[in-house]
Amino acid sequence: MSIVLIGVNHKTAPVEVRERLAFSDAACAEGLRSLVDGEIVREGLIVSTCNRVEILSSTSTENIEHGTARITQFLDATRQLPPGFLGQHLYSHTDDDAVRHLFRVASSLDSMVVGEPQVLGQVRHAYSLAVEAGTAGRVLNRLVHHTFRVAKRVRSETGIAANAVSISYMAVELGKKIFDSLKDHSILLIGAGEMAELSARHLLNAGASRLRIANRTPEAAQRLALEFGGEAVPFDQLSASLAETDIVICSTASSDYVVTEEMTRKAREKRRNRPMCLIDISVPRNIDPRAGKVPNVFVFDIDDLESVISSNIREREREAERAELIVQSEVMQFQQSLRLMDMGPTIGALRQRMQEVARAELEKQRKNLGQLTPQQEEALEHLLMSTVNKITHPVLNQMRRFYEASDVETMQKLADTFGHDE
Amino acid sequence: MKSLLLAVLAAYLIAAIHSILAFINKRRSVQRVAEWSMALGFILHSAALIADWAIDGHYPLFFMRETLSFLAWALVAAYAIILYRYKAQAVGVLAMPLVSVLTFIALLTKTGSQDAPAVFSTTWLFPIHTTLLIFAYAAFFIVFMASVLYLLQERELKMKTFGAAFHRLPSLTTVNQLATTFAIFGLTLLTLGIATGMLWSSARDGRIWHNDPKEIFALLTWFLYFFLLIYRSSASWRGKNAAWLGIAGFALVLCTFFGTRLLGGYHVFGFIGAQIEPQASSPARIAINNLETSRRGRLRSE
Repeated sequence: MSIVLIGVNHKTAPVEVRERLAFSDAACAEGLRSLVDGEIVREGLIVSTCNRVEILSSTSTENIEHGTARITQFLDATRQLPPGFLGQHLYSHTDDDAVRHLFRVASSLDSMVVGEPQVLGQVRHAYSLAVEAGTAGRVLNRLVHHTFRVAKRVRSETGIAANAVSISYMAVELGKKIFDSLKDHSILLIGAGEMAELSARHLLNAGASRLRIANRTPEAAQRLALEFGGEAVPFDQLSASLAETDIVICSTASSDYVVTEEMTRKAREKRRNRPMCLIDISVPRNIDPRAGKVPNVFVFDIDDLESVISSNIREREREAERAELIVQSEVMQFQQSLRLMDMGPTIGALRQRMQEVARAELEKQRKNLGQLTPQQEEALEHLLMSTVNKITHPVLNQMRRFYEASDVETMQKLADTFGHDE
Repeated sequence: MKSLLLAVLAAYLIAAIHSILAFINKRRSVQRVAEWSMALGFILHSAALIADWAIDGHYPLFFMRETLSFLAWALVAAYAIILYRYKAQAVGVLAMPLVSVLTFIALLTKTGSQDAPAVFSTTWLFPIHTTLLIFAYAAFFIVFMASVLYLLQERELKMKTFGAAFHRLPSLTTVNQLATTFAIFGLTLLTLGIATGMLWSSARDGRIWHNDPKEIFALLTWFLYFFLLIYRSSASWRGKNAAWLGIAGFALVLCTFFGTRLLGGYHVFGFIGAQIEPQASSPARIAINNLETSRRGRLRSE
C-alpha cells in the first residue's frame, strides 16, 4: 500500500499555471470518480485552493509508477493542458514524503504566510468532497484524520499562529504591549475608513470599552458610531477627545497633520502621563512623527506596523521549526499505524483460520460426546477458542513485532508456517 | 546544612537556566520545569533555614551567610507572588540567576566559629528588625528588575525595533504596576524595619540614632523611594523617569546592604565574629563595647 501525492503550489507554479489546474467542487467530484479505478488508483482526494492544486491517492506499492503516470495523464486530460505544460511545475511525493507534505500543508507550514489557518478548512472541504464522491477509503480516511490531529497539535503546541500578521490587527497587538489588557481602555478613530473600521472591530473584540469616532463628514462618523455602539465626536474638538483616549487610530485623507505634537503634549499633561498609543495608517501621514518624542506617547506609522508584521512573521518562522519536528514524529507514527492496519487482515485471517480448524475438529468429534446441556456446549466452545487464542497469541505478537521493525518477510514466513495465504 | 543548601542551589540553578530558556524559546513546558524546580528549591530552602535555626539556636538572620541566604529566600517568595499575580515570567530571567548567585555566595561564606551573641536573640525586636529589612530589600530588588524590564520594553516601542525582546517582555503597564506595588511594599517594610531598629536600639542603650553609615544610607533610601512613590502617584513622573529612579534607588539599597560593611560603624556585626572574645563571660556585651569604643575613637579622631 502506497500513498502518492502530485500537485503544484505557489512556490513551484505561477498563477497562470495554477488557475488552469484549479478544480471547482463539481469538477472535483467528477474528476475523482473518473480518476479512481479501484485498481491502479485505489483512493483519491483533490485539494484545490488559490495557492495549490494537489491530488492525493493511494495505490498498491507495485503500482506506484503507473499510479503517478495515471494521475499526470488525468490532469493533462481533464484540464486540457498542452503537452509539457506542467513540466517542471509539478512535484510528486510518495509514501513518507507524501504524508509529510500533507501534514505540512494542513499545519500551514507550506502556506504563503506560515501559520494562517484557512488551509486546514480547505483540506477538510476537499476531504468531504472525496467522501461524497466515494473515493476516500481505508487509507485516506486514516491519513486525513491523522492530518487533522497533526494540524491541531501544531497549533496548540507551537506559537505558529500566535502573532498577528495583518495591519488591522496590529492596533490590538501594540495596545497589548503597552496596556497589557485592552479592557477598560478607550479608542478614538480619526477618519472612518475601511481599515480604521476593521481595526476598531478587532480592538472591541479584544475588550476595549469605549469607542469614539471623529470624522470631517459627521454623517460617516454617525454611521460608524451606530454600527459599533460608539459615539461620534466633532472633528474640531479633537484635542479634547485626545486627552480621554488610550488608543488612537488615524486614517484620514488629509494631506496635513491632523494630530500635531502640540496636541499630544497637551493631551499628555491632561492625562497626567498615562501612556498613549497613536496608530497612523494614513499616507501621507496624519500624525506628526515628532509626537513620538513626547514621553509616554507611542506613535506608529504604517511602516512601523509593517515592521511589526515582519517581526511577527520571523517569530512564526522560528516556531515553524518546532512544528516541523512535530510533523516529523507524526509521519513516523502514521507509518506505524498504517503498517499495523495493513497487518490487521493478515492477523485476523490467521486467527480465524485457526478457529475454523478447531471448530471443524469439534464437528468431527461432536457425535461421540452425546447429549450436552447448553452450559456444557458453551464451556466446550470457550475451551476450544481460548486454547487456540492462547497458542496463537505469542506467534501473532511475534508477527506484530517483526512488522513494527519493518521486517515484513519474516512476518510473512511466520504466517506461512500456519499455511496462511493471502 | 551545607548539603541541603547545595541541593537548594542546584534547584535554583535549574530554575534559572530554564527561566532563561523559556524566555528565549517561549516553551510552556520549559517554564513549567523552571517553576517546579523553583518550588522545590524554595521548600528545601525553607527547611534549611528552619534547620539552621534549630541547630544553631538563633534566628537564621545574623551572619553574612545567613543574611544572603535569607535574602535569596525572600526573593524567591517575591518572584512566586509575581508569577501568581502578574504572570510576568520575564522577571525570572533576572531574578532566578540573582537568587542562584546569592545562594552560591552564602554557601561559600564562612560563619564565624562563635555563636550569635545572646543579646541579639533575647529580644524579638532584633529578628523582626532584620526580617523586615530583608523583605524590604527583596522588594526593592523587584522594583529594580521591573524598572529594567520597563526601560527595555519602552525602548523597543520607542525605537520601533520590534526584535525578539518585544515579543517576550511583559507590557509596560504590567511592569509599571509591578514596580509601584513593590515600591509600596518595600517602603512600608523599610519604615517598619527602621522603626523596630530604633526601638531595639533605644531599649538596649537608650539611643535611637548612631549616625553610622548604614543608618544614613537607609534613611537616604527611604527618602528616595518615598519620592518615587509621591511622584508616581502625583503622575508627572510616571513611566521612564520613575523607572530610572527605581534603578537609582537600587544602587542606594546596594550601598546600604553591602557598602556599609566596608565603611564600618555600629551596624557591623555578625560577619566579624573574630572580634567577639570567646573566653569572656558575656561575649556580646564585650563585642558591642568593642564596637562602641572603636566608633567613639573614630569620632574623636575626626
